Amino acid sequence: MAITKDIVGRKLDRFDFTVERGKIKEFCLAINEKNPIYFDVEEAKKAGYSDVPAPPTFPTVIMFWGYPKIWNDMAELGIDLSKILHLKEEYTYHKILYPGKVYAQSEISDVKVGRAEIVTFKTTIFDEKDDPILSAEMAIFIRKD
Amino acid sequence: MAKIQFDKVEVGQTLPPLDVPVIEHANLVRYAGASGDFNPIHNDPDFARKAGLDGTISHGMYVMAQVGRLCTSWADQKDIAYFGVTFKAMTKLGEKLTVVGTIKKKFEKDGKKTVTVLVEAKNEAGEVKAGGDLVVNAV
Repeated sequence: MAITKDIVGRKLDRFDFTVERGKIKEFCLAINEKNPIYFDVEEAKKAGYSDVPAPPTFPTVIMFWGYPKIWNDMAELGIDLSKILHLKEEYTYHKILYPGKVYAQSEISDVKVGRAEIVTFKTTIFDEKDDPILSAEMAIFIRKD
Repeated sequence: MAKIQFDKVEVGQTLPPLDVPVIEHANLVRYAGASGDFNPIHNDPDFARKAGLDGTISHGMYVMAQVGRLCTSWADQKDIAYFGVTFKAMTKLGEKLTVVGTIKKKFEKDGKKTVTVLVEAKNEAGEVKAGGDLVVNAV
C-alpha cells in the first residue's frame, strides 16, 4: 500500500495534554539542558517567566505522549513505519509553552509521491482559552528499499 | 537573559558553539522515554538492522534539541519566533556533534526588528546532520 495525495487535509483526532513541570525536567535532563529556568520556578520568575517554560523542542513530547495513536494512523495511511525518517521539523511560536492544560489538533498538510515520498503533518497547540501557543510542521520521508 | 541588540549583531557573526556529549545508546533510551518517541529504529538494534540500517540511529529530534540548546543559550526563549531544521544525515551512535550558529540576515519592518541565524549540528568530519533557521525578535 502506498500513500496517495488524497489524504491531504485529513485531520487527526483532537487531543488534550497536560504539560507538567516534572515532564519538562525529565525532558531537559534527557537533552543535557541544565539552565535552572527549566527546573526551578523561582529561577524562571527571576528571568521574567511566569513558570518554568518548556524548551523549544518540547512540543514533540505533546505529540508522542499525547497522541501515541500517530503510529497507528501512519500505518493506516499506508506508511511503512520501519522505513520512515524525520525530514523536517519547524516551530512557529506565538506564546511561551508553560505547565498546564493544552489541546492539539493535527492535519496532513502536504504529501509528495513518486521517487521521494514525503508526508507533512501540521499541528497547532492551543491553550485553554483557545489561543494558539505554537504551530509545528513535521515532515517525514519514507525510504525506498 | 538580555535581549538581542539589533545594532550589535552583524551578518556573518558566529555564535559561541555548543559541544554535544558523544551520542550513546543510553542517551537515546532516555530520550525515547522523555519524548515518547519509541520508534524501535532508535532503541532496538535488531529491529534497526532488519530495517536496513547499520544499527540504531539517533532520533532527529534529539539532535534538534541540541540545536535548540544553542538557540536558548544565545537568545531569551521569549524572543524566539521561529525555529526549524531539516534533517540531512542520520546520526549514529558514537558520533560527536557540535552545534554552530551564524547570523544570516537582519531586517526591520514596521518598527519590528528581527534577526535570523543559520543553525547547524555537525559531526567531527563536518557533515551537517541538521540545519535550519532560528528567528529571534530583537530590540
